[in-house]
Amino acid sequence: MSLAEIAFVLLALIAVATASAALLVRELVHTILWIAIFFVDLSAIYFLLNAPFLGVLQLGVYAGAVTILLLFGIMTTRKRIFSREAATGIGPVAFGLAVVTFIFLVAALGEFPQGEVPITSYDPAALSTNLFNVNGPWLLLLGLIMLAAVGGAIYLVREGRE
Amino acid sequence: MTALSEIGFVALSASLLAVGVFGILTRRNFILLLIAIEIAMNAAILNFVYFAAFAHGPGGLTGQAIAVVVIGFAATEVAVGLGIVLALNRLKGTINVARATELKL
Repeated sequence: MSLAEIAFVLLALIAVATASAALLVRELVHTILWIAIFFVDLSAIYFLLNAPFLGVLQLGVYAGAVTILLLFGIMTTRKRIFSREAATGIGPVAFGLAVVTFIFLVAALGEFPQGEVPITSYDPAALSTNLFNVNGPWLLLLGLIMLAAVGGAIYLVREGRE
Repeated sequence: MTALSEIGFVALSASLLAVGVFGILTRRNFILLLIAIEIAMNAAILNFVYFAAFAHGPGGLTGQAIAVVVIGFAATEVAVGLGIVLALNRLKGTINVARATELKL
């Protein structure tokens, strides 16, 4: 087992554990802390996959912006930040559906490329060429949707709306 | 990339998706719902990044490019979701989605 494989197994275990912990702890602020660890852990996995640009993006957008945004959401919607959530039990139906999803995905494993040689390293310049040339329309669409989302969010939270 | 196994990545991605689906189905707090959706989306992004390594040639980095776009979409979705959280809190005094029944007949 190579060093990268050991690192991947450890990071994968941490990812699943922190994601589960984020949804199972009682205090919402603890949820945010767990999810921050989860995002940083995923960014480490991207670095392991030789995708440094995505790793940095994950750190900046998810671990930075989304986490703080969620924290603001908690701060503004409750009087005391540390207040326990009413427990919502683990429904057997939901748990069963999650297990079925997992089984379906693992069953599809035979469809994946076997014995293919993965690319060993990426040139970030090639990624930017791909992003702005081949996938330029997607980036444009993303910009337009973000603009619409900003307008919608401002409309939702503005004062004096009944 | 070193020879990280497909099975490991697919298992990780599937586990994260299962955790996300579980959260979406069981939690009633809007912020926890948003977090569960983020976990499920990250599972998808992880798949895109991993399998991008198998596509050689000029289109080989499309998986990573799609991942960049999806990360942007996810951030947008959280912003709008928090707008809904604030509006719901102002309207109802709670962010329990079980109480948000305005659209019910």
